[in-house]
Amino acid sequence: MIEFRDFSFRYREGDAPVVRDVTLTIPDGCFVGITGAAGSGKSTLTYAVNGIIPHCYPGDFYGAVTVEGMDTVETSLTDLSRAVGSVCQDIDSQMVSSIVEDEVLYGLENFGVPRDEVEARLADALELMGIADLRHRAIDSLSGGQKQKVAVASIIALRPRVLVLDEPTAELDPASSAAVFDLLATYAREHGTTVIVVEQKIALLAEHADMLVIVDGGRVRFAGAPGEVLEHSAELLELGVNCPRSTSLVNRLRASGLYAGPAARDVAEAAAACREVIA
Amino acid sequence: MIEFRNVSASYDGELPVLRDVSLTIPDGDFVAFAGTNGAGKSTTMRLINGLLKPTSGEVLLDGVPTTALRTSEVARKVGFLFQNPDRQICQPTVREELLFGFTAVGEGGPDAEACVDAMIEAFGFDADAEPFLLNRGTRQLLALASIIVREPDVVVLDEPTTGLDYRECAKVMEAVGRLNAAGATVVMVCHDMEVVGDYARRVIAMTAGTVVDDGPTFKVLRRPETLRRAHLLPPQVTEVSMLLGADPALAGTAVARADTLDEMAAAVAALASEAARAAARERAALGACAPMGGE
Repeated sequence: MIEFRDFSFRYREGDAPVVRDVTLTIPDGCFVGITGAAGSGKSTLTYAVNGIIPHCYPGDFYGAVTVEGMDTVETSLTDLSRAVGSVCQDIDSQMVSSIVEDEVLYGLENFGVPRDEVEARLADALELMGIADLRHRAIDSLSGGQKQKVAVASIIALRPRVLVLDEPTAELDPASSAAVFDLLATYAREHGTTVIVVEQKIALLAEHADMLVIVDGGRVRFAGAPGEVLEHSAELLELGVNCPRSTSLVNRLRASGLYAGPAARDVAEAAAACREVIA
Repeated sequence: MIEFRNVSASYDGELPVLRDVSLTIPDGDFVAFAGTNGAGKSTTMRLINGLLKPTSGEVLLDGVPTTALRTSEVARKVGFLFQNPDRQICQPTVREELLFGFTAVGEGGPDAEACVDAMIEAFGFDADAEPFLLNRGTRQLLALASIIVREPDVVVLDEPTTGLDYRECAKVMEAVGRLNAAGATVVMVCHDMEVVGDYARRVIAMTAGTVVDDGPTFKVLRRPETLRRAHLLPPQVTEVSMLLGADPALAGTAVARADTLDEMAAAVAALASEAARAAARERAALGACAPMGGE
C-alpha cells in the first residue's frame, strides 16, 4: 500500500509548494493513472513515491509518504529502489549502456540477482515488451518508441512491487501506446504489482486504470474509479483535462436527460450507451 | 505545390525507409501523415524541407527539385517545427528568437522588427523572457511563432502536440489552423487522431515506407483495410459511429455517418425521439384495439 498523508513539498529553489496537502491511499496491485495540466505537480507526486524527493531534490517536505510501510524520507534510496522501479520521462537520461541486453543486465547485476536467474529474467522482460529481436542492437540505433520499451523492460526485469512511469508512451504511436498499456495492465494483474503512470493520454488511462487521480495546482482534485471521475467532464475541462471523446459523448447524453447510466470509459461503453438511448 | 515523384530515400544508402512514393500536395492544403513509428512519416517531412535528398525520384517545391535548391532557399519556402522545440530554440530572449529567422538571412531591420512585435502581441509572449525558462507548451508555441513570423508558404510540423497538455495543444493547433486559413499549406505528422480529425482535411496513411491510403480525413479513417494496414485507430466518435453503423438497423442512419461530438449527439437524440414517437404510436394503436371494458 502507498499512503500520502497531508503531504506537501516545496523545492528548495521554488517560491511556493508544488504539491499541497495531498492525502491519498493506493491499495496494493492498483493501476493508478495521474493526469493534469502541465506544471500541476503530477511528476512531483511520483518523486515522493520513488524517493527522488527528498533524496535527490531537496526541499521542504511536510506530512508523510509511505510505500509498503517504508517512510520514503527515512528509507535509503537504495532500499526504496528495490521496491519501486521507475521509468523516467526523459528516456535517454535513464540509459547507461550501449547495447539493449547490457541495459537490462545492468539493473539485474546491480541488484545482485542470482546468476542462474539472470538469463530467464532478461529473456522474459524482453519478450514481455515485444523486443526480443532487439536484444543485441545498439541503443543509439533505436527509435524513441523502441527505447521506451527497453527502459520499461529494464525495470520490469527487476520485478519491483511498485512501478512508476512518467509519460511512458510519449514517443509511441497510438497502436504501440495501447499495446504498452495492455502489457502493463496484464503484468500488474499477474504479478500483483502496483502501477503508477503519469500520462497526458487520458483515453488510455480511462480504459486501463483502476484509479484516476486528477492534479491541479499541486492538489488532488479528483481521485477514484475512472467512471466516477470522468462524470465531471465540465469541471475537468476547467482544470485543463479533456475527457476522452467517448466519455464526452455519453456525458452529453446524460446532461440532456437521455441516458442515466454511468460515464463511458471507452468506445465500446459509449457505443453501448448510444444503443440503449436509441432502443 | 509539393510533389513527390517516385521518391525513395535511405539514411545509410542501403536500407530504404521510403519506397517509390508519389503524391501531390496543392497550395493551401492541410494534410496529416499517419502511421506507426518507423512508417516513413518523419522521413517524408525531411524530404519536404530539403534536409534529406531522395536516393531516387524527385521532390519538387513549386516545380523545382529540392536537389536544385540550397537549404536556405528551401527554408524560405518551408518552415519546419521539430517535435522537440529545444532543438530549434537558440537565442537568449523570446524577442531575439523571433528575430533570428530574419537576421540569419540578413533581413533584419525595421520591417522584421514590426513583424516580431506583431507576433509577440498575437501570442501574448513576454518579449524579454529567457526561452529555456518557459514551460514546454510555451516553448513549442515560441518555436512555432518563430516559423510563422517569416510567413512561409508551407509549414511542416513533426508531432506538434506531443507532450503538451490539453490547453497547450489547443493553443498550438489553433495557431496552426489560423495559419492555414490565411493560405499557408500545412503538412504534419501527428499521432493524436483526435487532433487529426479536428484539423486535417486530408490524411495520408503510411506503412513500411509506402503510402497505403490518401484522401479526405474521415474517408481514410473509416476504411477498415487502411486502419488495419497502417495500424491506425480512428478518432473515438468515428469509432463509435463505425460500431453503431455495423448494426443493420442503424446502417444508413445519421449515427453511422457522424464524425464529431455535435453530429453524434444530435444523431442519437434524433433517433431516440423517433423511437419514442414510434413507441407512442404503437401504444396508441394497441389502446385503440384493446377490448372495451363493461357491459
